Amino acid sequence: MHPQLQLLVALQDMDGMIRETEEQGEEFEGLGFKHGGLDGLKKAREELASQIDPSLSSWYRRLTGKFGHAVVPVVGNLCTGCFANIPSSFVSKTNVNKVQKCESCGRLLYWP
Amino acid sequence: MDIAEVLKHTSPDLFIPDLKATDKSSALAGLVEGLIAGTDIKNPDTILQMLQSRENLGSTAVGPGIAFPHGRTLAIQRLTILIARCPAGVDFDSEDGNPTQLFFVLIAPPQDTGHQYIKSLAALIDRVQDEDLRKKLMAADSYEAFCEAMKEG
Repeated sequence: MHPQLQLLVALQDMDGMIRETEEQGEEFEGLGFKHGGLDGLKKAREELASQIDPSLSSWYRRLTGKFGHAVVPVVGNLCTGCFANIPSSFVSKTNVNKVQKCESCGRLLYWP
Repeated sequence: MDIAEVLKHTSPDLFIPDLKATDKSSALAGLVEGLIAGTDIKNPDTILQMLQSRENLGSTAVGPGIAFPHGRTLAIQRLTILIARCPAGVDFDSEDGNPTQLFFVLIAPPQDTGHQYIKSLAALIDRVQDEDLRKKLMAADSYEAFCEAMKEG
C-alpha cells in the first residue's frame, strides 16, 4: 500500500474512533469502558495528519465534509462510495505509484 | 443478542489457546498476528495501530482477568472476533491491576449500520461475568469446548 494511503486509512480510523467516542461514549461507558485518553487521541490524530501531504490532506477534509468518509474500499472492482466501476488498470498501479481516486466521485480508493 | 449469534463471527482459525505475551504491546501484536492467520486481512499494521489507539483512549481490560480490544477499521470487511487465552496472564492496564488471561477481540468495518459490534461486545461482557464460566473457558481443551461452554446456561 502507498505510504500516504496507509496514513489516510489510519487517520480515517482515528477520526471514526473519536466521533464514536463523542457520540456513543455513554453507551460504551455503560459497558465499563472509560475514555480518559480522548484528548491524547485527538493530539495523536493531529500528529498523524501532519504527516500527510497537504494536497491529500485537503482532499481528505473536503471529501469527509461532503460524504462522511473520504477513503473507501474497492470491492469487486466497485468504488463502495458511489458504486462506479473501477478500471482494472487501477489495480496494478494501486500499491506502488500514487494514491488513487475514484474517477466518478473522487473518493480515495483502498484495496482491502 | 444471543451468544450463539455472536460466536458466528469467530472460527477455530480465530482461536489462540495459549497466547505468549510479556506485556501489553506484545499481547496486542500477538492478537493481530492471530487475526492475520485466521482471515484474509492484508494490512496488519493498520489494525495494530487502531487497537493501540483504542488502548490509548482507555484500557479495554474491563472484566475480571478479561480484555475486549475492539474498534472499527477500513482494513476489514465484516465483523470479526478473535478469542485468545493467555494462561500466564499479562499486564493489560486493567483497572483492578490484575493480569489479563482472556481476550475477546472485536474488529468491525466503519459501516456497521446495525451496530452489530457494540451489541456483540455487550453480549460477551454480560456472558463472562460468571466466575464458574470463566474457569471453564480457561480449562476448555478445544475451540469447540470453549464455544459450548459459552453457549451453556
